[in-house]
Amino acid sequence: MLALPMTLNTTAETETAKIARGLRERDMELLADLVQCCQQRLVRYLLYLTGRREYAEDLAQETWIRMLQRGSQYNGRQPFDPWLFAIARNLAIDYLRKKRKAVQTGSLPDDHDAVLLLPSPDPSPFEAAARSQDAMRLAGRLQILAPLYREALLLRFQEDMSLREIAQVVGAPVTTVSSRIYRGLATLRSAFEEGDSHGG
Amino acid sequence: MEDDKRFRELIDRSFAEEISEGEGQLIRDHIRDCDGCRRHVELTARTIRGLREFTFTSEPDSNAQVREILAHHTQTRLQHNVQFKVWAAFAVALSMSFVGSALVYQVARLLTVPMHFDTAQVQASVLIFWLLPSFCAALRLLAAPGGNRGIA
Repeated sequence: MLALPMTLNTTAETETAKIARGLRERDMELLADLVQCCQQRLVRYLLYLTGRREYAEDLAQETWIRMLQRGSQYNGRQPFDPWLFAIARNLAIDYLRKKRKAVQTGSLPDDHDAVLLLPSPDPSPFEAAARSQDAMRLAGRLQILAPLYREALLLRFQEDMSLREIAQVVGAPVTTVSSRIYRGLATLRSAFEEGDSHGG
Repeated sequence: MEDDKRFRELIDRSFAEEISEGEGQLIRDHIRDCDGCRRHVELTARTIRGLREFTFTSEPDSNAQVREILAHHTQTRLQHNVQFKVWAAFAVALSMSFVGSALVYQVARLLTVPMHFDTAQVQASVLIFWLLPSFCAALRLLAAPGGNRGIA
């Protein structure tokens, strides 16, 4: 009785392998499914990285195009989401670097991630997205928090990625990822600590 | 104080990653007696809950736009592929046409003496009956509409 399901399991194509094949063949049906499942999350991730709604929407479109161009590089052995998010991240960093170099006279350190250490000076899209009192209190902190920490918090607590998957997206060791999460949490937690100590 | 710091690090770790059952029990035992660390647990849980209470929605037609862009890119890529294949086939056909003509010319020259042909006759024949038709066949690859190329 057990033999049949086991055989089916070994011969059935895994979900990620199916995605890899679909990307190689540019299967429009599969691409539509991927857009359906990931577009909103991709925009949210890019919003956390850039802090700007309009950048996020544009970069999400760019990400899909880049994904299509690099589809043959996805081997289907790792989960799809971290691979897609890593593409989005690289695009966002390049984009932010260009933007900020254009407006800043001082040069940025020559580190790939350096641009994400600078908090965004733009108006907060987080307040508009806050759906509770607590979220509203966090919105202000999120806006001034360096995008590197925001990114780690989003991937861990909203995307529910494991530390290993986050490390894959950001291209950093797991220990770096966890320390970003702790530092991000500490900053956000202070919104409640200060608020409560002022009687809020 | 040092103990509290260590416990708070462990508490943070328990929210961010898997901890062992033993470590979990250690935290539970500690916060039973330590108000500061209990508050740390509550605030961290509240922070994470707050983080999950952000709802971002993309533009209503954003999915459709992306699908359209992807379809357009796929179509363009297909067209480029077909064009590339046609030019590659043309290049191959053209080179075969010249190589073939050269071979035929060499063979015909060998037959010139036994068959009493003139060299000019051989050259003209190769040009008219071999080089031109094969060159035209190669050119026809470029002229044929996409569906009739048999390549796509």
